[in-house]
Amino acid sequence: MTPDHATYSPLQLDALRELANVGAGNATISLERLIGKPIGLDLPQVELLALDEAIERAGPPEAERYGIVVPAHGDFEALVLLLIDPRGAAVLYGAFGLARDSDESYSMLAELGNILASAYLGSLGRFSGMDLAPSPPQLVVDMLAAILATVLLGDGVDSDRVLFCDSQLSVEGERCNVEMLLIPEAGAVGTLIEHLGV
Amino acid sequence: MARGVVEEHIGMGALATGWRPGSVLCCVGLGSCIGLALVDQDAGVAGVAHIVMPAGDGDPPAHFAHTAVPVLAGRTVAAGARREDLVAILVGGAQMFTFGSGQQIGARNEQAVREALVQAHIPVVAADTGGQSGRTFRVRIDDRVTASVRTTGQAEKQLSLDQLVKQTGTTSDSGASAVPNRRQTTSEMVN
Repeated sequence: MTPDHATYSPLQLDALRELANVGAGNATISLERLIGKPIGLDLPQVELLALDEAIERAGPPEAERYGIVVPAHGDFEALVLLLIDPRGAAVLYGAFGLARDSDESYSMLAELGNILASAYLGSLGRFSGMDLAPSPPQLVVDMLAAILATVLLGDGVDSDRVLFCDSQLSVEGERCNVEMLLIPEAGAVGTLIEHLGV
Repeated sequence: MARGVVEEHIGMGALATGWRPGSVLCCVGLGSCIGLALVDQDAGVAGVAHIVMPAGDGDPPAHFAHTAVPVLAGRTVAAGARREDLVAILVGGAQMFTFGSGQQIGARNEQAVREALVQAHIPVVAADTGGQSGRTFRVRIDDRVTASVRTTGQAEKQLSLDQLVKQTGTTSDSGASAVPNRRQTTSEMVN
């Protein structure tokens, strides 16, 4: 639980940030295809955080969030978690013309999560030369802290570090905040950086 | 209640005790974690731990079920509880996701906490565990210690601790004498 950004150089953090940006670029194209409308996707901030910091960063613990989890397997095990607040979800429902909290809207959110996560994992894989395949997404609507704690603890193995990407999705001028967290299995951030060669 | 409620949020792997009337011990957003309360109703003392995993290196102790139970019991006794009057309330241990093979962590947490409680000879009087939803657990210390749970998408509900009274009445001789004691404390508070 000790935050040790010091172990990663600014250059290494930049590399992780850049990966997220490339992933976001790819995701934009897939999302425009899905939505059929021009969208914007910005990643203003990418940080490497310790578990407890990530939980604090994400917002009030009892706040309601849509959480989409995409497990990834391959050269290393990781989870991608996307968090969308109810306002953001409403923007997305509107863009698709879907009823709030219907089966259709849930599957749209899961698909959206799938696209974002796959794009990110794809760019991560290409740059690191590691093979990462996403599994089907899962959606939950629950308290932020409950989602985070459960996802971060995964199989009961403490993950050391979380890559926390604040992203802003905009559809026709309406903004939707999506927080994307890449949660590598313990030690995997080090492996990843090694493969990136920075 | 009127004297300003102090709500203490207990983060993952942390624990806290309370004995002052008006204090609230709270675990917000429990998913697979377990909120464990140890209560001595007669003394008006409670301790709460936010347990994250079944077992591990014990650092910090409240993070792991097997170390959390004895340490929390010790701290609750240090805060004024009688060891033999302690009873337990368990909340949490949900299984929110189905991916992976090991997402049974909620159930494993609950089982580990229950085993540790058996070893410590502390009876469980109330539990709200399992399922797929997150929960917020509050333990309030007032004239009596009360406990409530808010599950995602539902209203806050009180946990029935009736059995708790029965337990203290039957398990030890302190039960009978402790009730007037508590009344005494109550009247002191009113004055």
